[in-house]
Parts: sequence; C-alpha cells; structure tokens
Amino acid sequence: MVDDSTQAVQMVVSSLLRKKPIVLHVDDDIASLMMAEGALEDAGFEVVQAANGQEAIDSFKKYDPDIIIMDAVMPIMDGFDAISGIRQLSGGEHVPILMITGLDDLDSITRAYDEGATDFLTKPINFFILPHRVQYMLRSKLTADELRSSQAKLDNAQRIARLGNWEWCLSSNDFFWSCEFGRVLCFEEHTSVESWSDFLHHIDEPDRSNVQLIAEQSVEERQAFNVEFSIVSWVDGSVRRLRLEAEPHCQENGDCSHMLGTVQDITERINAQKQIHDLAYYDLVTGLPNRALLSEQLSYTLKLSKRNDSKFSVLFLDLDHFKQVNDTLGHDAGDELLQQVASRLTSVVRETDMISGGDDDDSESRHTVARLGGDEFVVLLGVINRAEDAARVAERIAQAVGMPYKVGNNTVSVTSTIGISIYPADGDDFESMMKSADVAMYYAKESGRNGYQFYSRSIHEQSLTRFSLEADLRLAIETNQLTIAYQPKIDMETGELSGVEALTRWVHPQKGIMSPSTFIPLAEETGLIVPLGRWVLRQACEQMQRWVKSGWPPMVMAVNCSSVQFTKSNVIEDINEAISVSGLDPKYLEIELTESLLLQDGEKGIQILKDMKELGIQVAIDDFGTGFSSLSYLKRLPVDKLKIDKSFVDDLATDSGDAAIVTAIITLSHNLNLTVVAEGVETQEQFDILRGFKCNEAQGYLISCPLEIDNLETWMNNYHARNLDKASGM
Amino acid sequence: MALEINGCDDVTVWIDETALKAIEALQRPGKPDLLERIVGLFKSESPKTLASLVVGIDSMDMEMVRVAAHTLKSSSAYVGALELSERLKELEHAAHEQNFPACIALGDSVEDIFADSCTALDQRMSKSA
Repeated sequence: MVDDSTQAVQMVVSSLLRKKPIVLHVDDDIASLMMAEGALEDAGFEVVQAANGQEAIDSFKKYDPDIIIMDAVMPIMDGFDAISGIRQLSGGEHVPILMITGLDDLDSITRAYDEGATDFLTKPINFFILPHRVQYMLRSKLTADELRSSQAKLDNAQRIARLGNWEWCLSSNDFFWSCEFGRVLCFEEHTSVESWSDFLHHIDEPDRSNVQLIAEQSVEERQAFNVEFSIVSWVDGSVRRLRLEAEPHCQENGDCSHMLGTVQDITERINAQKQIHDLAYYDLVTGLPNRALLSEQLSYTLKLSKRNDSKFSVLFLDLDHFKQVNDTLGHDAGDELLQQVASRLTSVVRETDMISGGDDDDSESRHTVARLGGDEFVVLLGVINRAEDAARVAERIAQAVGMPYKVGNNTVSVTSTIGISIYPADGDDFESMMKSADVAMYYAKESGRNGYQFYSRSIHEQSLTRFSLEADLRLAIETNQLTIAYQPKIDMETGELSGVEALTRWVHPQKGIMSPSTFIPLAEETGLIVPLGRWVLRQACEQMQRWVKSGWPPMVMAVNCSSVQFTKSNVIEDINEAISVSGLDPKYLEIELTESLLLQDGEKGIQILKDMKELGIQVAIDDFGTGFSSLSYLKRLPVDKLKIDKSFVDDLATDSGDAAIVTAIITLSHNLNLTVVAEGVETQEQFDILRGFKCNEAQGYLISCPLEIDNLETWMNNYHARNLDKASGM
Repeated sequence: MALEINGCDDVTVWIDETALKAIEALQRPGKPDLLERIVGLFKSESPKTLASLVVGIDSMDMEMVRVAAHTLKSSSAYVGALELSERLKELEHAAHEQNFPACIALGDSVEDIFADSCTALDQRMSKSA
C-alpha cells in the first residue's frame, strides 16, 4: 500500500520534472517510425523507438516513457503481448498506450482493450493528427496521475490518522468505504461489505444496536452524530476502540439521500489518556491510588454517606521505623517493602469486602487503599455500621502488616500505627477526616507504636495544645525568650567547683516557666532542637570564655546534645563554630550525650565521638545505667566521664541494690580511667555515701539548683568564701 | 488524384498522390528528404519482406505469410501503392483464414504489382526531382 501510493506520487513528480515528455513508438515498419518521429518531435515530444514487442519492454524499463504508441502486429513479440508485459512492470500499470490497428480489424481492437490498451488508432495513421492525439492522452494521463497521487496522499493521511471514510446511500442501502476503513475495522482480506447492514454486522452487540439507533436518529433529525464502539481484532485479539462520526446529506426536497462519515481508531489516544490519568491518580511505587484519587473517592463516599445517612471511616496508617529499612537496606528494598505492604493492605480490604459484601448492593468495592507518600497509607472504609468495624479492620491490618517480609535476601519486620476517624463524628470533609485520622495516628505513636487509636475530642485538644506550643516555641527561639541556667558541679574530694551544666529555661509570656521535659521533646520532634541546640552551645561557650577571661578558677562548661542534633545535623561543625567564634579553649567545653543515643547509632556514633575528641573537648555519657550498654562497648567509647543517673542516687541510702550498681559503675569507670559524676544529689547522706565510693564529682540541689548568671556568680563567690573558711578551719 | 502507369500489359498501377503529399508535408526544414528516404526504404526493405512471404507460401507457414503481408500492406499504403496494399490485405486475410490456395494465387501477383509500383514510384520521384 505504501509502495503503491509512494510510486503514484513519484510518477507525477517525475513527469512534472521532465522537460519533454517521452513517447515510446513501437512499430516494425521503419517508414512509419520515420514519419511519426518528425511530427512528434515538432510537437515537443522526445521520441524513443522500438521495432517489436520485446524491444518495447526493454525500452520501457530503460526510458520510463510517458506514453506508448504500439503497433499490433509485429515479429518476435506482437503488441498485445508487449502491452500485457508492460502492464505488469512497476510503473507500467498506468502508462497510456495507444494501439495501432487495422481499420477493420475489430478483433485487434477488442484484444488490445482486453490487454490494457488505453486507446486505439487505425491505419493508415494520419501523422498530422497523431501528435494531437498523443497530447490529449497525455493530459488525461496527468490528470489520472494527479488523481492517483491525491488518492495516495489521502490514503496515507488516513493510514497515519487511523481514520477511514465511508458513504452510505440511503435509497439503495449501498455502502462505500476507503481502504483505511477496512483496516480500522480489522476486515479480513476480501471481506465483502456492500451495505449498511453488512457494516453493522461487523460490530458486536450491544454496540451494534447503539450505533444503529444513533444513525437512524441522525437521519430522522438531520443531525450529525458520533458514537464510539469496540471491536476485537482478528489479527491479534486486541480490543480496539473506534469512533464513528457522520452527517446526513439531504436533497433539495429535504429528503436525506446519503450519509458521509468517518471511522477512527482511537485506542492509542484512549490508552494515552488512561496513562495520563494513572500518572495523575496512582502511586508509581505501589500502583495504589494516590492522594488525589483518594480525595475524589472520599468526596464521593461523603456524598453517599450523607444521602444514606451512613458511616464511613478513614484509617491513617504509618509504618514504624520504615526509615531504618530505607537507610540500612537501600531505597530499592524500601520500595519493595512498600509494595508488599500495599499488597497486604489490599488483601485485607478485599477480605473486608467479602465479609461485608452481603449488604452492599454496589458491585464495585467502596473501600479504597491509597498511599499518600513515604510510609503513609490510608484505608478508606466506604461503609461501616459501627466504629468497631473500623477497629476490626485496623486489627487485621496490624496483624497482616506485622508479619515478616522477605525483601531481597533479608527478612524484615515492620509494625504499623493506625489512626482512625469516623464520619460523621470526626469530620465532614476530606481535610477534616484526614486530619483527625492523622492526629489519632500521631497520638497512637506517642503512646507506643504498633497499635491503633480512634480520634477523640481530647486527642484533638492535645494536638491543638501541642500545635500552639510548637508555634510559641518557634517564636521563643526567634525572640530570645529562652535563657540559660547553669547548675554547678563540685569535686567531691576537694570540694571545689569543677564545672557547670548549661540548662535551657523558657519563661512563656502567658504560661510562665515551662518545664524542659515539656518543650525539649517537642523541640526534638519538630526539629527545632537543631537551632535551639546551636544557640545554647554558642551562648554557653561565650559565657565560659567570659568567666575564663575574668580569672575564675578552672572549670568545665557542660552542654547537652540531643539525639536529633547528633544524628540529623552536623554537630561537629556546630561545636567547632561555637569554639572559634567565642575563642574558648576547647578543654573547657564538655558535651553530654545520653547512653541510649550512643546505642542507637553504633559505629556512626563512635566516629562522631572520635571527631569530638579531635576537637579537644571532653565528652560525658549522661544518664548512665539507664540504657543497656555492654561493658565491652563502653570500653570502645572515647569518652571522659560517666554521669550516674539520678534514679540510682535517689535510693542510694535505702536500696542496697542501687548502692551495689553505683559501686560497680564507679569501680568500672576508674578502671577505664573515666571520671564519675553523680547526678541529682540532694542529701548530705547521699553525698557522703558517694564520696565513700570514691565518686569524683557531684551535681544536685544539695550543691545548688540551676542558676542564672548573676545568681551563679554570687553563689560562686559565697561558695569560695565558704570553702576557704572550711579550708582555713581545717 | 492518382498517377496511372502502364507497367505490364494487363496491369494498371496507381500511385496515390495524396499519400505522397502527406509524406512531403511531414518534411522538416534542414532535414534529409523524407519522401525520398521513405520511398528508398520501401524499395530496399520490401524485397526482404516479399522473400519472407514467398518462403511462407512455399513452406505453407500461414502465420509467416500473414505477418509479411501485414507489414508490406502498411508500408505500401504509406507510399500510395494502393493496388499493392489492397492485394496484400487480401493475402493477409487469406493467410489468417488458412486459405492456402488463395494465398498461392494472390502471392503470384503480388511480386509483379510490387515491381510495377516501384517503377511508378521511380517515375514519380524523378518527376518531382
């Protein structure tokens, strides 16, 4: 098809490009050739001659003539066989051939026509008239070429557009169609479609009746129409979507005479649209609906629930510690895990469908599993009878998600935390239903992961408080509402001041003094701890430098470092900057880290500790004894001090177990050349016991509460005086 | 208008002057004399065709006779040898009909008429020269 049409176009082009049309004159009579030659050349033709049929075929191949004059009777090969041969050659199908026959030789005329001659001329030839005859034939030939070329272009255009055209004559019921029409409708070769009903026969029910009805309506109403239908290709069994468009044409009296139409294969367009839709509405990793589609589904569910006065539920699910899988096994493994989780969620919901399917008259599921991104999923239970239904699904989900996963060569376990909101109690639109479920999920996380939590008014209030506190804290950091208090530590042997611990204080403009146990965890969750920690570090270093410069006795400034700072920000850079900006000698700075923090980060933690030591600062392990450090691990940690947790100190005088632990820690520390500090020393008895155990330093209300700078300076002067008195008294 | 020549005692050969004029009219300026070339060609090429016609009759090859008669029929018509052309047409028909006796009878006279036609043409050519 492509070859034929391309050839038709090329033929016209080559004829147009040629200056003189070529006439191939075939005759065994040399005199005839000689007489015609002059006349044709005078008329502007280039003449090529051949003496018999065989030569004619050879010359045709060589010269590609525009027209042929062919004698009938010739030796070797006659004109009839020559025509037949030329018609079979490429480009020979359409070349005009003028057959020369005897005046009364009707047999030859008939045979010439049968073999494919275009016209005939009887002998003797009038050589004056011959060039005119040739010119007329050539003009017809050019017109025919142009028509063929135009047809070829149309065929190509139709093929490219997968669009065919058709015409239905209403009076005769005749049906005409283009090649592409046949291809679009996947007609087999030699399929006979001669009437409108033949055509309809190629469409399966119920599309067939629909097309017929719409076409009949179109004739009746004299209105154009379009209709889509599907067919199954016999070639590969694929389903093709076709669009039929047509308009009726009427006569002067208003009667419709025929209908002109097109048919187009729109399968690819529909597929592309579906792909675009999928990209916009589905998550690429899991193939689940994304937030946008969930939003639409939820809005739809909302409408149904309002109308039916029914309940539905949103389950907001977050995987616990998913980040660790991503960090340790890589993102590909993380994605694979998400896919497996998605698949389990879908099965749980499908089972739910089957269980609740009895009372649901919708054939499609009204439940949706969606992925919002990261490790967050949402299950929309489109219809529930009571809140317990949602709880049951949440339990099933928690159980299914909690089973171990095979990811690559690893077995991975994750748990999930689920927040549940119920319509209409917890929200009446997409945002509020999602927010409620999210808040409930957050609350469930707070109260220990791996569980589910319904949304409630009190959770809401807590979340509001938390939200407003977060905003206040942000403002407090920006507007310097925060201050630092310093709690002294003393050397238990000499009684001299050995250092201070910098502690953040926040006096809220309305709420007054805020407990660090309230706002420090909040700062850690929100990431505010990073700027806050940086600020404390800077302030503490500058203050210490001022004290060093004013000639205070040597001591150490301890600053706490939170796990968030330790893992998420470049704490080494922050320390370095604080030291260099303040000009403080690093030996006066001590960073306190909790034992659990070091356990969390393993090798990375040890590296950071080494980097700290490189800076020349001291490192202390805070709250020691509360974590589960192995002794061998402790040996590997490049630290200078251990701080025994207050909980051991509290019952030191009464609990022999605690006393044993404290002795053990102290002995161990001394063996490892570590200094031991006891925290929370509140009584003289505790102080004495610790001193008896050879504990190095003590900190606590017995010595002093945390103090503002001015108070601390006063305290220090007094303490010095007291100490001097004691010393002189001894 | 026709040229009448008395060749043999019982034959009168006409050369159709209209045909010759038609050839002359095809003459292009500066080119060799077309009529002379056509007549010359007729005289030089036709004996070969005639010989093939004779061989055809002798060997009873009717197709050979038919093709030869057809060829000579056309060329003689172009030079206005209508008598010859007419006789050859009959011969072509007879050969097509496989009428062997008719072919023999017609074949005998063709050679004579060809000779007379050539003579008449020569006279015509010498006159015009």
